[in-house]
Amino acid sequence: MNIQFKKGVLEICVLSVLAYKDCYGYELVNEISKRIDISEGTIYPLLHRLKDEGYVTTYLQESAGGAPRKYYRLTDSGRKEEHERKEEWMRFAASVNALLERKNDAAE
Amino acid sequence: MLQNEQEFIRILKDRLSGTLAKEELDDIVSDYAEHFQVGRANGRSDEELWRSLGSPEDVAREIKAMHLVKKAESVKSCSNIFHAVLATLGLGLFNLVFVLAPFLLLVCMLVVVLILGFVFTITGPVTLLYSVLQMAGLPAFAIWLNPVAGIFISVGITTTGLLLIIGDYYLARFFYRVGIAYLKWNISVITGTEGTA
Repeated sequence: MNIQFKKGVLEICVLSVLAYKDCYGYELVNEISKRIDISEGTIYPLLHRLKDEGYVTTYLQESAGGAPRKYYRLTDSGRKEEHERKEEWMRFAASVNALLERKNDAAE
Repeated sequence: MLQNEQEFIRILKDRLSGTLAKEELDDIVSDYAEHFQVGRANGRSDEELWRSLGSPEDVAREIKAMHLVKKAESVKSCSNIFHAVLATLGLGLFNLVFVLAPFLLLVCMLVVVLILGFVFTITGPVTLLYSVLQMAGLPAFAIWLNPVAGIFISVGITTTGLLLIIGDYYLARFFYRVGIAYLKWNISVITGTEGTA
């Protein structure tokens, strides 16, 4: 699938994963690249942008037997943004799917 | 070239040190360092992690472009927008078409309107002088113009010229704002490379 497609939806994917649980970088990247084949290096710049925009914050937390990890967490405005974008995406995807499958006018 | 964590971080730091402040650079670098560390703990090799991250040069280019666009957004100046456009151009050949072409077009447009504005503004007093000389009894050379009409026309021309210059200023501000939004979108959506993981 083409890269513009994927990059366009990357932001909502990141927000959505973080709405489910706080993640450290690798965990988040892994969660996304499991399903979407994208250069993993582009997720970090995206996280920084989201942080700049105030949608996520970070905190350090000890890990079992390793260096402390940087966790990313959605802020209140990030949660609101996630909610709006998700609604928007769901509506859009449903319309496109309906159009592509031509469910309604197959008989006509 | 060895594809390991140290080399990745070295290249990243090298490419970004001139642009980003130290704290910001350290913050970004720490993310990638952690990525390598956790990846290794999960049994992946440095080389594999490198490949899935994409080349550090590409990563640095994207971070740099985003940083320069944000800088141009907060501090508006010709030099800042120029650097932002230049950095975005570096993200892909197709940006010659999607970024450079529209940028040059808009800049040309602003310059043309500005020149027109100046020409009009200067033409006004010249016409005025011409009309006054005519009223003083000097023979009309080149073209004949009713001196009284000439005075009104000169005021009209100068006013138009000044309006063009003022309008150009607001047009430039508008282009700047839209341009920044477009560059942001360009970086976050259009550019990028496929993952190879």
